[in-house]
Amino acid sequence: MVELKDVSVTYSSGVDALEHINLKINDGDFVFVVGASGAGKSTLIKLLLKEIDATSGTVTVNGYQLSHLKKKQIPELRRTIGIVFQDFRLISKMTVYENIAFVLRVIDAPRKYIRKRVPYVISLVGLQAKANSYPTELSGGEMQRVAIARALVNDPALIIADEPTGNIDPELSYEIVDLLRSINMQGTTVMMVTHEHELVRRFGGRIINITEGQIVFDDIMEGSDDEFLEELEISRISENLENPENLYHES
Amino acid sequence: MKVSGVHYLVGQGIENIWKNRMMAFASFCALLVSLVLVGISILAYQNLDSMIGGAESQNEVIVYLEEDTSADEINRIGNEIYQMQNIADVMFYSKEEAYQDWEDQMADYGILFESLGDDNPLIDSFRIQVQDIRYMNKTVSQLEHLDHIYRVRAPYDFVAIVTQLRTILTWVMSALILAMIFVSIVIISNTARTSVYSRREEIQIMKYVGATNAFIRLPFFIEGMITGFFAGCGALVITWVVYDAVSGVLQNQVALLSVIGVGSMIRFDAIYLPVAFAYLLGGALLGAVGSALSTRKYINV
Ligand SMILES: Nc1ncnc2c1ncn2[C@@H]1O[C@H](COP(=O)(O)OP(=O)(O)OP(=O)(O)O)[C@@H](O)[C@H]1O
Ligand SMILES: [Mg+2]
Repeated sequence: MVELKDVSVTYSSGVDALEHINLKINDGDFVFVVGASGAGKSTLIKLLLKEIDATSGTVTVNGYQLSHLKKKQIPELRRTIGIVFQDFRLISKMTVYENIAFVLRVIDAPRKYIRKRVPYVISLVGLQAKANSYPTELSGGEMQRVAIARALVNDPALIIADEPTGNIDPELSYEIVDLLRSINMQGTTVMMVTHEHELVRRFGGRIINITEGQIVFDDIMEGSDDEFLEELEISRISENLENPENLYHES
Repeated sequence: MKVSGVHYLVGQGIENIWKNRMMAFASFCALLVSLVLVGISILAYQNLDSMIGGAESQNEVIVYLEEDTSADEINRIGNEIYQMQNIADVMFYSKEEAYQDWEDQMADYGILFESLGDDNPLIDSFRIQVQDIRYMNKTVSQLEHLDHIYRVRAPYDFVAIVTQLRTILTWVMSALILAMIFVSIVIISNTARTSVYSRREEIQIMKYVGATNAFIRLPFFIEGMITGFFAGCGALVITWVVYDAVSGVLQNQVALLSVIGVGSMIRFDAIYLPVAFAYLLGGALLGAVGSALSTRKYINV
């Protein structure tokens, strides 16, 4: 759960990036955050990760009241959040498998668990065949799926995606959003930042519009293209998610 | 942290060396060069100092006693000198001994001694070695104030040269060693920074997925330590070879030998343990701290 109460952020340069933001995202929600460049979307994300602190107001993420969180506890908070970036940020020296397993090693997970969990999330994003490939051998869409698997592997309560489709062909963008929605259907809260209004209009759902540091719109909109959505419902990835047991295999 | 975690981090440190072998090799070279530069400078200083020390111990102050000083008084004066500060050694050199030595030296000129008959023209003296020639002036003036002293002869020229030499040496070598240390710090911190920079993305991702700072730093620390340890081994071998070669050359220079007292060159056998210890420990420490410190910039996300 994410809750912001009267939150403002002023950068040391004097820019008011966010002003008096009130926002609540419940567990299991899927929200799009839209807004022009420089509106404050990334600032909102940095706030939720406690990369920066609110100048005023209170921020609560997954039960952590961020202004009360000590520096030492930041890793604890971040372990409850999965993050996906526009530029993927995969480690080029590591294979797909290692890129994902790495996250679990970082949080000191048992090896046995890692050996089970990593192939599972790789299959969730449909990349079984690429487990031993390096990021440079993948397409943009595939790299972003790896990044999503990495965000997912730790079973976070919240996944934040900052323009995950920004570097991907429009065709493949739908696949990425669909993947995030499938993950959401399994109970994970998802917050996706995007520039692409077309994408948002097609999928619909809860949409938050930030303009010049303020929330100017926060409501639910219907998807515009039911046929398109239905098509996606029966896509391979959703199918996989409904029967995760089928996907489990040792690597 | 669980044991498996520590195990993982140590493994990670070793694995990282291989994965980033170019950077690891650069760090290795930086550490190696630094250690050798500083190590050889220090050893050179110690050797030169020891050579000067060897020359110094050849100093001899001669205290001539007045004629007709009684044996009792000679004894008393001897004790007095012995108890003075800055005296390394006192030896009584009686006029009979002096005469005997003289006669031996001049054996070919026996005729000279015949003319002297039983008359011994020489006088009793004390031969003294001072501990620290820098204070020879003071010691000499103290000696002059004793009773029954006829004259004190001190090797002032010798003292002046040696003292000057030592002052120059200390300054030059201190400056050199400091410069070497400075160069080393620059080299090491630059290499470490480059090494960490090339992995900043990895560090950032670790931060985002909730790695603790210790977790991020430990592999760098271990990596630096291992690299530094091997650099220490390399530096030891290089130093050994260079040292043996240099002392070999010097020992063959008979002319040089007598001038600078190569006899007082420190043998490597005598110091290799502390040298090895210093190199390995210094290398490991420098490597570890250098790379752990340079993660600081990227760790604050
Ligand atoms: N570290 C910073 N220091 C000072 N000002 C900043 C900093 N980061 C962002 N800003 C400013 O804060 C405002 C909001 O920036 P933010 O990155 O949140 O925008 P955004 O909505 O994510 O834009 P985009 O869609 O281009 O990513 C902008 O005016 C930006 O210039
Ligand atoms: Mg942004």
